[in-house]
Amino acid sequence: MQLIADHIAHAYGPLPVLDDISFTVGPGEVVAIVGPSGCGKSTLLRILGGLEKPQAGAALVAGAPPAASLNPLTFVFQDFALLPWRTVEGNVRLVLEGHGLLQAVVADTVRDVLARTGLTDFAKAYPKQLSGGMRQRVGIARALAARPAVLLMDEPLSALDAQTRELLMDDLVQLVSAEGSAEALGMVYVTHNLDEAVRLADRILVLSRRPGRVRETVTIAGDRRARRSDDPELVRRARELWDLIRADAAEADRELADGEAING
Amino acid sequence: MVDVAHDVCPAATADKRPVTFRGGLFLPRTHRLVGFAALVALILLWQAASSFGWMSPVLAPSPGEVIDALRRMALSGELATHLSASLVRLAGGFAIGGTAGIAFGMAIGLSSLVRSPGATLVAALFPIPKIALLPLFILWFGIGESSKVATIAFGTFFPMVIATYGAVDNVDRSLVRMGRSFGLSSFAIISKIILPGALPGILSGMRIASSIGIVLLIAAEMIGANEGVGALVLAAGNLMQSDRLLAGVVVLSLLGLTVAGVIGAVEKRLLAWR
Amino acid sequence: MAAFVVVGLAGSVLSAAAQEKVTVGVLRFVSSGGLFLAVEKGYFKDEGLDVELKFFEAAQPIALAVVSGDTEFGVTAFTAGFYNLAGKGALKVIAAQAREKKGYEGNLVLASNAAYEKGLTSLDKLSGKSVGITQVGSSFHYQMGQIAAANGFALKSVELKPLQSLPNMVASIKSGQVDAIIIAPHLAKPLVASGEAKLIGRVSDVTEYQFGGLFTSTKMITEKRATVEKFVRAYQKGAADYAKAFLAKDASGNIAYAPDSDATAALVAKHVYPSEESAQAAAKVKGAAFFVDEKARLDVADILTQVQWLKDEGLVDASVDAKSILDLSFIDGHINAN
Ligand SMILES: Nc1ncnc2c1ncn2[C@@H]1O[C@H](COP(=O)(O)OP(=O)(O)OP(=O)(O)O)[C@@H](O)[C@H]1O
Ligand SMILES: [Mg+2]
Repeated sequence: MQLIADHIAHAYGPLPVLDDISFTVGPGEVVAIVGPSGCGKSTLLRILGGLEKPQAGAALVAGAPPAASLNPLTFVFQDFALLPWRTVEGNVRLVLEGHGLLQAVVADTVRDVLARTGLTDFAKAYPKQLSGGMRQRVGIARALAARPAVLLMDEPLSALDAQTRELLMDDLVQLVSAEGSAEALGMVYVTHNLDEAVRLADRILVLSRRPGRVRETVTIAGDRRARRSDDPELVRRARELWDLIRADAAEADRELADGEAING
Repeated sequence: MVDVAHDVCPAATADKRPVTFRGGLFLPRTHRLVGFAALVALILLWQAASSFGWMSPVLAPSPGEVIDALRRMALSGELATHLSASLVRLAGGFAIGGTAGIAFGMAIGLSSLVRSPGATLVAALFPIPKIALLPLFILWFGIGESSKVATIAFGTFFPMVIATYGAVDNVDRSLVRMGRSFGLSSFAIISKIILPGALPGILSGMRIASSIGIVLLIAAEMIGANEGVGALVLAAGNLMQSDRLLAGVVVLSLLGLTVAGVIGAVEKRLLAWR
Repeated sequence: MAAFVVVGLAGSVLSAAAQEKVTVGVLRFVSSGGLFLAVEKGYFKDEGLDVELKFFEAAQPIALAVVSGDTEFGVTAFTAGFYNLAGKGALKVIAAQAREKKGYEGNLVLASNAAYEKGLTSLDKLSGKSVGITQVGSSFHYQMGQIAAANGFALKSVELKPLQSLPNMVASIKSGQVDAIIIAPHLAKPLVASGEAKLIGRVSDVTEYQFGGLFTSTKMITEKRATVEKFVRAYQKGAADYAKAFLAKDASGNIAYAPDSDATAALVAKHVYPSEESAQAAAKVKGAAFFVDEKARLDVADILTQVQWLKDEGLVDASVDAKSILDLSFIDGHINAN
């Protein structure tokens, strides 16, 4: 299944946020979205996931979702969004309930996704007993349980420390590279971290400052499993991206500060 | 061997002093025993005041007399009669007022249509002393059980509404968005995310509402009741039987402690995840 | 003009200063009319007492106010609560207030229209019915007990409903939420006249009954006996005026009002119906005048009977000694005193 952004534009009241964004994500593809703070990345992701209606253009899907998909477009949240009163297992189970699945199927799925995210030993733990990294693993396990076609990730690692981030990044790489078929997982990955973008993405959309427009689409070739974070080539690409964004980011930063001063 | 102290503090050893402690965070600890001892001390002081004649028997009976009155009421079965009559009213009134309050509070918390009129009405009606409405309740519900249950239901309804919608408002909206994003039905979101998320607030609302219910027992049993702890207290007041009056007050207070204990136990069970 | 006012004021201040100040707790009831007359006619002043009336809404707080020393005297009806409090030794009853007496105004028993239609037409049919009273241990409660005893049924067979206040009793009988009430005549008569309830009997047909009394604290009697004596003397004169104006009977047994009865009633009305027009209020006073002994003598035997009955019902503590509540030394010749 493909997810298509078709000339999406959006504004909050008088404030234009997104302007004419178009791109496509297919199975096995990772599109990273980078851009200065406040340029509309999160808004774009919400529009793609159907949580918000764009003012112009549309988010479209094409082709069949994977067999037995419960939720073709599935989010992984920056703040994890776990139910504190449910165990790890219960949080995963939440998205399997109400679909008329057999108990055995539910149990198998839970066991499978927990195994894939290294959480088997923590099945009975409550979120507050887990570290940040572990919690985001639960978020990912829950997303996987819904058998999505495309994962929509909004800065999924930004709340975590650098080491944890590194470990989870390896896992994400494995996740999106698993199968090469039409059922393979696609991903839209919003991040501030350019190293993450070059590590994971096939294409990187660089947005301008608000209203967000696609300034450039950077392609990173090669099997992401072979990439290493200290690869000089990747470091250079990240550097290039930063040069693209820097002026905008500084400008956006000043704008935000002004806005706050005025509002305050 | 290297001198360890020297190793740790290589310079300016002459002027060593500890940093000032600045960690006092106003976190009082609870000591059950100390609380209990304070209560016992108060009772002993009161008993002494009566026994040594510092306090006239006209002013207040001694704790011993109160306990004796309590014992006599318990033995004669009078206490059981009063208590069961009150418990039935309390349970009935709280069940009605609490359930309706939670339902209405949920509606205010979830629906824009209900919210503005509902919240305004509640804010307007909550402060009305329910005793002031007693004559109306008698007109509407008579002087039988229904007006007594209605008084308690009415009195517990409003705090439950306010606690519930406050609790619903406090449920993390990012969890609701998560539920939506996984395609959960509205019913599933309400029952699996909002209701459990609001449960701590609802339970603490229940603590307050149940205390209010006990306070209202007296008002509810003012009219036409011969049985009930509230009726007992009123009659003892009318008869100037201060030992029985205070015995009734002790029963009310124990009732309050018991209800609070039950709710505490339920909290412990349901909110183990905290 | 201004000088005249100043002189007048100074004069009254002077005479007040010479007088001893005492306060009396009382309800705005016609049955306390003797007290009001003693104030209005200056009998207390003549004794050198400057009496201040403190009006209460309920009988109980008056007794408590006398115990606590907030007022020196109190005049109200007797209740079980009063006897319990007095039984602790702090209060003494020294003179009478009203009495329930055959042939005079007194409390009436009303049936709701619905109950009346179903056959509740006389006192002997009250068994098994619900009866509204103000409070447990009130005069109404006791009177219901006397009615039950006189008609040969157990009080337990009557469902007594404490309704806390007179307005609640009126509302409940109107709406038929209780089958019957016992209530004072000034409230009963309008209900019967307007057809909102039916009269089925008088308490005085069943029993004569010492309704209430004048009481003071034990401390007053020991420490200021002279003051109490003065007070009682003036109080007795008021009672005599009350009896002369409202209770005199002609040969055929009807009340025979004296020429100055209306003027006397108007003096009482000033305190009972302070906000009402005087002629109308005076008529109401005459229509609600309970029997009061002309010398304010107590029916001692009846009080002993009352206390015994209330003890038997568990409403008065067994430890209360009725005789010790009374101090009969201020008035000679109390009734049934042996
Ligand atoms: N619900 C909303 N109502 C009004 N304005 C909003 C709303 N959500 C976002 N905005 C505004 O829209 C702009 C884009 O917000 P968005 O969160 O999409 O930016 P972002 O690129 O994700 O920023 P960041 O990198 O800081 O996460 C911001 O100026 C923000 O203040
Ligand atoms: Mg964002």
